Amino acid sequence: MTLPASTTGETADLQLTQELIERVEQASTALELLQATQALAAAAHPAAAPCLVDVLGFNNPGAAVAAVDGLIALGNQAVEAILTNLDGYNYGARAWAVRALAGIGDVRGLEVLEDALAQDIGPSVRRAAARGLGQLKMQELAEAPRAALVQRCLGALEASCGDGEWVVRYAVVVGLESLAAELSPTAELRPRLRQALEGLRESHLEATAVVRLRAEQAIHRLEAQHG
Amino acid sequence: MSGSGDSQAIPAEGDPIDEAEALRRLRCSDDPSAQYYAAWWLGRARSSHPDTVPLLQFALQQRRARDPGAGVEENAVARNAARALGKLGPAATPAIGDLLETLDDPDDGLREAAARALGDLRAAIAVEPLRRRLASGPAGAGAQQSNSPRLVEPCEALLEALGDIGVASDEVVAVIRPFVEHERPLIRSAACRALLQLTGEAHWGEQLVVLLQHPQLQVRRAALMDLGAAGWRPALQPIAATLAENSLKLIALRGLVEQGDDAATQVDSEIAAVLEAMDALL
Repeated sequence: MTLPASTTGETADLQLTQELIERVEQASTALELLQATQALAAAAHPAAAPCLVDVLGFNNPGAAVAAVDGLIALGNQAVEAILTNLDGYNYGARAWAVRALAGIGDVRGLEVLEDALAQDIGPSVRRAAARGLGQLKMQELAEAPRAALVQRCLGALEASCGDGEWVVRYAVVVGLESLAAELSPTAELRPRLRQALEGLRESHLEATAVVRLRAEQAIHRLEAQHG
Repeated sequence: MSGSGDSQAIPAEGDPIDEAEALRRLRCSDDPSAQYYAAWWLGRARSSHPDTVPLLQFALQQRRARDPGAGVEENAVARNAARALGKLGPAATPAIGDLLETLDDPDDGLREAAARALGDLRAAIAVEPLRRRLASGPAGAGAQQSNSPRLVEPCEALLEALGDIGVASDEVVAVIRPFVEHERPLIRSAACRALLQLTGEAHWGEQLVVLLQHPQLQVRRAALMDLGAAGWRPALQPIAATLAENSLKLIALRGLVEQGDDAATQVDSEIAAVLEAMDALL
């Protein structure tokens, strides 16, 4: 594999990474796979991304956690490897991929996060997607595409305020609060976002106390920032 | 995904159903698979339909011989009916007598479900029958059955129910106390949880925190749930650092906010610390 020196760093790093990839590919026990994946993730080399993505599908939760951490550490450099072949993943791999995309916060992950929050059967996946929709990195976008992106994230989070699992609604609160940071104090969407949070604070609408408290905290913080 | 803690043990029955369909299926006493799912559904949905509790009471009486072809094992419908009743809160009060009777059933799995339901319903009238079931101690109630790895009594459920109901009499505490020395860590965890709930003494919480380091994941999970059920806030950092699924740690941390003697009604600095730890686990 040949990559520009500017993205690969030292040639020796690439060689080490390839050796670590071989260790992952040749691991014959769950423990070997875990250790090899941890080593590969720690190398933090872009060339590791496709192999880390493969590990997501190996049905080894420990190794998958290490691979997700490694992919998040690679950030934007891992997104293409994750999105390629996403449809070919088994359910478990897809769930881990959603977590990685949520942690990376690259806007290319938007549709995957939207779909996961709306449709995934696993509450832990919807939870990660809700959090991720609040922390997409939009600073470098121009005003118009940024507003459109915020609107889609807000729409997805609003639609999940009634999710059947408390932990997903909790994550929706967290997502809404962090999404608010992307809005200017006068943004048109701000009242909508505030209304969604208020619904999650009301005891006749929200049954879970910890969700109501988290919504209260979010509203309180937003008021302190913007009045 | 294995080990994520997401999956509920339910038999998939195809399309989603509504309350009317669940009630219809629960009446199908010749189709235990349909009844099993319907009972689970009604509990999960916290059904408040006037027919729900009477139908679950009826299903609780249902016993049948094992029929492997039916895909549902013996007394599974009755077990799910007990669990569902436990989820219905005050509406299930008329069924407490039925659950107390079920506590004497020969099937220890059914006794377990009944004990948990009585604990969920905070049924103070159940304290003495629950206590009696444990009174023979770790060498009696807590001994292993001769023909199965199960214990003579469903000790974990009985202990947890006593802790949840919360009647801290000397008799109750004295019966629970020896189980903190039980050979099985899951029983020790349940006993420490109950004593922490009943007495508020920190050393029971500290013993649960030690179990968070246990080499077996199953034990670490149980200790997480037990600390959450007791709402013991000094466990915040140890819970956050436990090697277990984030899903379970989040449930335990929710317990620190909502359970215990001073359940939170506003976000003070102590609650804010719990919420911060939860945010980091999402």
